[in-house]
Amino acid sequence: MMNKSDESWKVDAFVDGELDLASQLDMERRMAEDPTLRESVEVARVLRELVREHADRHAAPESLRTWAATLFPRPPPPPPAPARVLAGARAGSVAETLQRWLGWRPLLVSMSLAVLLVVVSNAVQLQSSQQARLMDDVVASHVRSTLGQHLVDVASSDRHTVKPFLSSKLDFSPPVAELQLPGSVFLGGRVDYLAGRPVAALVYRQGEHVVNSFVWPSTESDSKPDFAAERGFQTAHWATHGMKHCVISDLSRDEFRRVVAAVQLTDASRN
Amino acid sequence: MGDEEKRRRFESLAMPHLDAAYNLALWLTRNEHDAQDVVQEALMRAMRYIGGLRMDSARAWLLQIVRHTCYTWLKENRPALKVSLDESEDAWRDLPAPATSEPPQVAMGKAERQQINQAIAELPVPFREVFVLRELEDLSYNDIARIAAIPVGTVMSRLARARGLMRVALTPAARPVLRTVPRSAQGAGT
Repeated sequence: MMNKSDESWKVDAFVDGELDLASQLDMERRMAEDPTLRESVEVARVLRELVREHADRHAAPESLRTWAATLFPRPPPPPPAPARVLAGARAGSVAETLQRWLGWRPLLVSMSLAVLLVVVSNAVQLQSSQQARLMDDVVASHVRSTLGQHLVDVASSDRHTVKPFLSSKLDFSPPVAELQLPGSVFLGGRVDYLAGRPVAALVYRQGEHVVNSFVWPSTESDSKPDFAAERGFQTAHWATHGMKHCVISDLSRDEFRRVVAAVQLTDASRN
Repeated sequence: MGDEEKRRRFESLAMPHLDAAYNLALWLTRNEHDAQDVVQEALMRAMRYIGGLRMDSARAWLLQIVRHTCYTWLKENRPALKVSLDESEDAWRDLPAPATSEPPQVAMGKAERQQINQAIAELPVPFREVFVLRELEDLSYNDIARIAAIPVGTVMSRLARARGLMRVALTPAARPVLRTVPRSAQGAGT
């Protein structure tokens, strides 16, 4: 028999899922034989559940959030035509310089414009092919999740269970909430892989239909949902608060739009 | 790294963990006002060092800064409050066994929210922080070790101690009268 302190650490690590595989199996074998050990594990589990269910996890007050948002002043949006909008001597000199350039170096200017055009059109093409690949991935992931047994990693309708689980597996903390929609059931979440990175997948059931809602951090600027139909599935993707969202389901078009609106709402009201 | 890039990183990496930061600060200071001060100071530090952050560990990184700020802040602003870190790791062996005639998991299962919060708040700080990071933030032993700047073995021993103290605090002493109280009288605090 091990001394008491080793034993207690092992019970804790066992309950926390932090034992290596060999020790885990050893623990299970010993639990089968040792009722005292079984009881220690049971007590540890009760305490864990009790604390996780009832202890306060304090959310940051709104005032703190607002203050934090002012830490980095957002840069003002670039004015559409700087030379004309800006007033005063500096604006004049900018306009003059620009005019001098346009007047003296027409060839250079037209050449650089041509180069710019090629670069931009390539970038646009690249982006749209990336977008197509992403939607392929999304459909594949959705189909995989509904075909197999692996719909969720953590099955819980409690966002205080799902959110910390996902945050601990990912390098970001996804907005997690139930949909405020009649007939909607929050099934849980899982970690998936999209766009070359691990993402959070929140899974809902709407009637008989499964809805996968993927979230991951992105540098894309905020956008309105872009709806599309991919191989019979309804999809929508958009970016907000530095997060990219992508929702997919086999719902009807109208119902799907309602679900997307509800997902947007959860993100807007997240705390 | 430009300011714009720093802002982006800060917003996408640090800001999602603001709740976790505040939660830890509040459990360590046990005072909402102090917790806000600590988090504000921590965020300003985080802002300065955001450039050096590795992408895979934003939460642990931010909580590490919050914890560090907490101790410095408490030392400067609450000198009367002794934050002792050298509590003997072995002292937990002397814990009395909870005295009750019910099986411990049954007796403990009756604890209510307020009782549980109070029991956590009364844990000595080194145990409290490890316990909060594990049970409320669901961090791995490795992340906790990194945040609290202690070896994983120490995380385990402190966690065991914290849980031992919690068990004692939540297991009422054997009082036969408990079993005869009608259900309606028990639900008052929930």
